[in-house]
Amino acid sequence: MTAGAGTVSRPVPVRPGRWPAAGRLLRLELLNNAMLWLLPVAVALFWFTTYRKAMAMPPLWNMRARALQSGALLAFASPVAGAAAWMGSREGRRHTTDQVTVTARPRWVRQLATWAATTCWAMVGYLGCVAVLYGMTARQATWGGPLWWPAAVAAASLPALSALGFAAGAAVPGRFTAPLATIAAFFVLGLSTQLIQGSQSYWQVSPLVAAPWDIGPDAGVATFYHYLPDLPIAQVMFLAGLTVAVLGALALPGGPGGTWLRRPAAAITAAGLLAAGTAVALAGTGKLDAHGMIAIPALHNAASDRPVRYTPVCSHTRIPVCLNPAYAGYLPATVGALAPVLTEVAGLPGAPVRISQAAATYRQGPGNSVGVGLAGPSTVGRPPVFRLLLLDQLPGPAMTTSALAAALRSNAGPAIVAGVTGGGRGASPAQQAVTAALIMAARGPATGSPAGITPPGNGFGMPPPGPAPGSPAYAAARRFAALPASTRHTWLVRHLAALRAGRITLAQLP
Amino acid sequence: MTARGVPGATAAATGAGGPPPVGQLPAGLRLVRLHAASRRAPAAAMAIASCAIGLRIALAWSWDTYGALQLPLVFEAGCAAAIAITTASPLGEPERVAGRRLPFLRLATTVALTVAAAVALAAAGTGAHLAGGTLDVLRNVAGMTGLGLLCAAVLGGGLAWVGPVGYLVAGAYGLYTQWHGPALTTPWLWPARPPHDPGAAICAGVVFAIGLAVITVRGARDPAGE
Repeated sequence: MTAGAGTVSRPVPVRPGRWPAAGRLLRLELLNNAMLWLLPVAVALFWFTTYRKAMAMPPLWNMRARALQSGALLAFASPVAGAAAWMGSREGRRHTTDQVTVTARPRWVRQLATWAATTCWAMVGYLGCVAVLYGMTARQATWGGPLWWPAAVAAASLPALSALGFAAGAAVPGRFTAPLATIAAFFVLGLSTQLIQGSQSYWQVSPLVAAPWDIGPDAGVATFYHYLPDLPIAQVMFLAGLTVAVLGALALPGGPGGTWLRRPAAAITAAGLLAAGTAVALAGTGKLDAHGMIAIPALHNAASDRPVRYTPVCSHTRIPVCLNPAYAGYLPATVGALAPVLTEVAGLPGAPVRISQAAATYRQGPGNSVGVGLAGPSTVGRPPVFRLLLLDQLPGPAMTTSALAAALRSNAGPAIVAGVTGGGRGASPAQQAVTAALIMAARGPATGSPAGITPPGNGFGMPPPGPAPGSPAYAAARRFAALPASTRHTWLVRHLAALRAGRITLAQLP
Repeated sequence: MTARGVPGATAAATGAGGPPPVGQLPAGLRLVRLHAASRRAPAAAMAIASCAIGLRIALAWSWDTYGALQLPLVFEAGCAAAIAITTASPLGEPERVAGRRLPFLRLATTVALTVAAAVALAAAGTGAHLAGGTLDVLRNVAGMTGLGLLCAAVLGGGLAWVGPVGYLVAGAYGLYTQWHGPALTTPWLWPARPPHDPGAAICAGVVFAIGLAVITVRGARDPAGE
């Protein structure tokens, strides 16, 4: 293109209502951005790897928010880094560097506009995905609200990935740069977590980490206690610092910007690196707290340790079963599983007046292992309340309702009976026999777990040890279980105190 | 558009030119060499070699189950992306019009690079614990290269990496579901299937064959400005 003779190039006056120059530049970049074409890929990957998985989980905000953070990040990382690298290498690839160097805007400003446009499209796609996932969860969840910190961490990752990809493309403009950036982004994000060892690892600053690493889906977190923002704050700080540092570094190479641009750019880069380094150091001071979250002392707010207030949802049974409202969907199955046992013990002295769901407590084990259990005894207070831990509160794949009910029948049910009869560990033969008899009468297994159900560890309502088949205690249990329910109940009302005290022998059982 | 930086590429690609001077390569070989140069095949070969070296170094580390399974897939995707990128032509329409032997050159370049990638990655895993083994490498490289070739036909050679890289994420997720079910068992997600699974091998082979056929006949799309 040439300017005609006598033509004087003058800046076009900005008319009212028109965008300023930077806005027009951004608009042009938005219209000619590779990320727009890669959005369908990112959204498809999000649907395939994250949305389907999250929707298969119980409608609990904590589970879905954490699935969103790690899943969305992996789904968007490669397309964003690749698109940014592609855009960053555009001038070099098309051999237009010299042409655009003579434009009025410094190279850095043009690069920032391209980066911003790439990031904008990525953010639009990501926010759309968040809206759909959270919207569906809002329709399904029975309690609670969206957790924004996991969404914020993934959102803060996109500008950082875009900046890194863009810088790679600008530094090494070539057709191989973009795929290299995408592969590197996936490799670093996906496999760097291998280096995490325990809750005090610096690598937890990786935006992929939303919970103690390797714990898997864990519905027990952030329901009874607040979602701790400590680690997300450190992660966002790291990502923001990284973004600023990389974008600042773009202006450092010699160019038309001159010294006046390089000095502030160097300061910005240094500030970004400082923020990122501080965030890494903070992440290294993290520690798994009793509620299953990573607490960072310097960022911790003690108010977050207070339990969340809620009104439990309770069954209208003789012994009410009360669950956290987030687990309201489990109430019918829980009540159905425990009803036979509760019928047996209702009205007996020492029987629980309520079955109440409790929070799980977490303890860091060696390496990345985490011990999860019920803090304190199963039965507390006077009148006694039996504290229940649903198996779905424990780390691991979500259980089906029938599996959950089977686990409750085989673990919590016997534990409730044992709490009434004193038939726990160290029980007398008579106590064991009565406990086994009540479990038999409730049509549950006397001991052990059904196939396919792994009994949880101590403190979850482990089934008490039952009498061995063929033993006198077993025979007495069968005899006692065969009695009419009213006869059993009457005998227990009269003799339960003595039985609990260990003063009843097998021979004295009816 | 010009064949910038590729001297003589136009003439070679069109099959023109007289007998070679004494001491030079025969015309056929010269044509192959120039075609490979115009497609950045040497750079792709270097990228493949880098992937193989990277895999070898990575295999020396101790990885947990996830890492050990997903690690080869990352490098296989890298090789596939590098191969797919070589379909981009710097010469455009003139080459298409005049290059009689172009389909054969495209076919030969792609097949040679795919074989090189499979051999290099398999060699990198020799003596180390390469999850899935050589068969897995062969299947995954072929399948993902096929995806890259199809992407090249649709998006252009420059953006052909989108296919292998996108599939890398899906494949890694497929491997993840083997531990955190429900497991994805469709053969179209071949990285998540065992190496001897015939369905997965057929799917990967079909994708590679279609991609190869499309690229051989049509070549990569040449977007304006690239």
